[in-house]
Amino acid sequence: MPTLVFLEHHGGELQKGSLGVLAKAASLGDAAAVIAGPGASALAGEAGRYGAAKVWACEDEQVAQAVPQPRVDVLAQVVADGGYDTVLFANSVLAADVAAGLAARLDAGLNWDLTGIEFQDGELVGKRPALQDSVYADVGWTGTPRLALFRAGSFDATPTGGGDPETTGISPAYRPYSTAVKLVGQDAEAASGPSIEDADVIVAGGRGLGAPESFTLAEELAKALGGAVGATRAVVDAGWYPYSAQIGQTGKTVSPKLYVALGVSGAIQHKVGMQSSGTIVAINKDPNAPIFEFSDLGVVGDVHEIAPKLTELVRQRKR
Amino acid sequence: MSRASNFPPPFSSADYVTEPTDPADERIEVGVLVVGAGPAGLACAIRLGQLIEQNPEVAERLGDVPVAVIEKGKQPGSHLLSGAVVNPRALRRLLGERFRMEDLPSFGPVPGESVYVLTRRAALPIPPPPPMRNHGNWIFSLSQLGRFLGERAEEGGAVILPETSAQKLLVSHGRVVGVRTGDKGRGREGGELGNFEAGSDLVAKVTVLAEGTQGHLTGVAIDRFGLRGEDPQVWELGVKEVWKVAKPLDRIIHTMGWPLRAGGKYREFGGSFIYPMGKDMVTIGLVVGLDYRDASLSVHDLLQELKTHPKIRKILAGGERVQWGAKTIPSGGFHALPSRLHAPGLLLCGDGAGMVNIPRLKGVHYAIESGRLAAEAAFRALQRGATPATALSSYDDAVRGSFIWDDLYEVRNMRQVFGRGFFVGGALASAMTMSKGRVEVGKLPAEPDADQPLLVTDRDKSYPAPDGALVFDKLSSVFASGNKTRDDQPNHIRLERRVPSDVAQLWAHMCPAQVYEVGADEGDGTVRVEVAPSNCVQCGAITAKGGRLTPPEGGSGPEYSLT
Repeated sequence: MPTLVFLEHHGGELQKGSLGVLAKAASLGDAAAVIAGPGASALAGEAGRYGAAKVWACEDEQVAQAVPQPRVDVLAQVVADGGYDTVLFANSVLAADVAAGLAARLDAGLNWDLTGIEFQDGELVGKRPALQDSVYADVGWTGTPRLALFRAGSFDATPTGGGDPETTGISPAYRPYSTAVKLVGQDAEAASGPSIEDADVIVAGGRGLGAPESFTLAEELAKALGGAVGATRAVVDAGWYPYSAQIGQTGKTVSPKLYVALGVSGAIQHKVGMQSSGTIVAINKDPNAPIFEFSDLGVVGDVHEIAPKLTELVRQRKR
Repeated sequence: MSRASNFPPPFSSADYVTEPTDPADERIEVGVLVVGAGPAGLACAIRLGQLIEQNPEVAERLGDVPVAVIEKGKQPGSHLLSGAVVNPRALRRLLGERFRMEDLPSFGPVPGESVYVLTRRAALPIPPPPPMRNHGNWIFSLSQLGRFLGERAEEGGAVILPETSAQKLLVSHGRVVGVRTGDKGRGREGGELGNFEAGSDLVAKVTVLAEGTQGHLTGVAIDRFGLRGEDPQVWELGVKEVWKVAKPLDRIIHTMGWPLRAGGKYREFGGSFIYPMGKDMVTIGLVVGLDYRDASLSVHDLLQELKTHPKIRKILAGGERVQWGAKTIPSGGFHALPSRLHAPGLLLCGDGAGMVNIPRLKGVHYAIESGRLAAEAAFRALQRGATPATALSSYDDAVRGSFIWDDLYEVRNMRQVFGRGFFVGGALASAMTMSKGRVEVGKLPAEPDADQPLLVTDRDKSYPAPDGALVFDKLSSVFASGNKTRDDQPNHIRLERRVPSDVAQLWAHMCPAQVYEVGADEGDGTVRVEVAPSNCVQCGAITAKGGRLTPPEGGSGPEYSLT
């Protein structure tokens, strides 16, 4: 199963999510990676550490902007040249577009929103959550190449200890329509600290905080832990915190190593956005709150008393 | 003792009637526009396809899109929910030679039936009263049937536009000329977001409103054209769940009695249904009339309580809930039908027009039949040389001549009778049906659901605590409806936000999707009502009980697939 993984990079850094997919692919067999954009070759070594035996690097001007179609040209060429029968993507706005474009270009099947992949009796089988994640369906492909897009945070980006990969430059013929799109501008939302998608630690606040001012409890603790602040839908609805911090079914899906929930009841809409977090710590005064059913450490008590003390202890430990 | 109707919502039908506003060359022109991809609307589209196929010259005059169906859900079926034990007669007539019942996505004919009167611990079997006999009827998931009919409509040439809400009625020179679809991509305060997409004017020669229960534009049209019936329309609220079960159920079951209370002052009228869906699924639902008075009544939580009954617990044992949903059912019957089912350029069908037979618990076959008849009237109006007004009024005549009319007439006074208390009412209703409507109990005054004076009991204290296995909280239920509506869209629910506490409690308990919460005390005898519109599954109960639902952005709401 020669597998190709699309690696996305921004600001000279490969995205954690796509490295996770690469590490997973390497665990299943031969894995190659494709990196498109200026500085691609320089990142090949990094890709090697996450399991790429071979890296295809495209430094063309056409892939300088973060638009999907030129990347479809690159991938289509690499699939043809390298004879890959499987192409994997880690979900992002760009990767989803590229995957869809490649599926259309190659007339290939794309399984969407997968959270796992493995061999079963020699067949490649994807895991796809269905019915609001209450069940997992096994999905396959009827032909090759097999395309798959994985949900954010499906795999840990753990270095596999691989060495420097063989690197090949690639410069495909671009379709005229591929290069017709110009990126006019790009704006980043001003945020302090790590974004909640990338943070290793998230401190989330819920309605149990009682008042918008109490969000400083979450902010202080997040700062002490070097993490980001998340929020439940209820508090975003109430206008206590911006929508960009909302975690859950209709917000962001996160999987930090540590998730601290302050006054979060743990409704299922919230749970599905954070259930793959490493360690879940919940502080809530309601002993019947659903969050205690899926937290690793549950503290029944007043978050207004406990959170400041916890923040203080973390600070002392760090000194 | 408040009445919800004393606190009317900030809503005026007139705001939803407009002349076309898009420049003439930007309007989307279609032949017949059907609003709503449910059994009525899709039957209408299917029948139109058949008629056009037989008369190709008419199609030419209708332009590129002879028939269009707009649907606010993600796809046909996404917002469809019913029992559903369906009388097959209208389906057979619609699909004729093309399909046998066996070819339809059903769970087969009703294998047998039981009716029980429940007490908290016991279940007393009674012979099924005549209206509840279901031999010869078929079990369906209406959502699945909707998807099937959608495919048939498309095969017949109809264009289905999903994720499209019908926001305003286009009226020009006193005639309905189409609808304006809703905007997409607006923020909470109404501002345009990056993905903003303005609605458009869909202009049609005939517009068929088949919006289902609590149809938004149906309500607007009834006001605009003075089509209100003799009685105000009233509704019941049905909440249901689909379960995967360990062992198959071999019959359909209806229950009466517990957990509803019999006392006349509560006006708790309703019952439950439990139907098999093939070998490994069962659906269970509870339906309660929205003329109830107790502000602490929650149909959602009564259904949870019902499942704890030993008899029912046994049916669900070892199973798992896979879907949940809620919907209102128009129950005013014959006297609440609109005074006319047509207006210039417009036809009204199905549940939107109130075509439901409550004692028989049937409406799907009336919806299909009315859609089919609407198609024939619309088609007549499109003939060369036809007088559109005469052609459209022929729809009223056709409905009056159909089984829809006969059936609804037969049980015309049933609903009011139940106001006298369940058991007395039940006996009278049976007598009425058995005598084919000849027992005349006299027409009783009917009042809107929101006019009922409220009382507050501690009923809510005895609802069972959620355990996440048999008994669920409302938010988990909303999740199981597939609802993942964008949170930052404008609120689509018109509601008086400062009301006496009993009215706020009524809304909070009534809503099966936890849209309303009793908020801060305003200190002047009122409280604030907090609203979480993205939880809404568009069941319509709020419109019956003193608010007004309007369609949210297209594609919002539940994504039913098994209901």
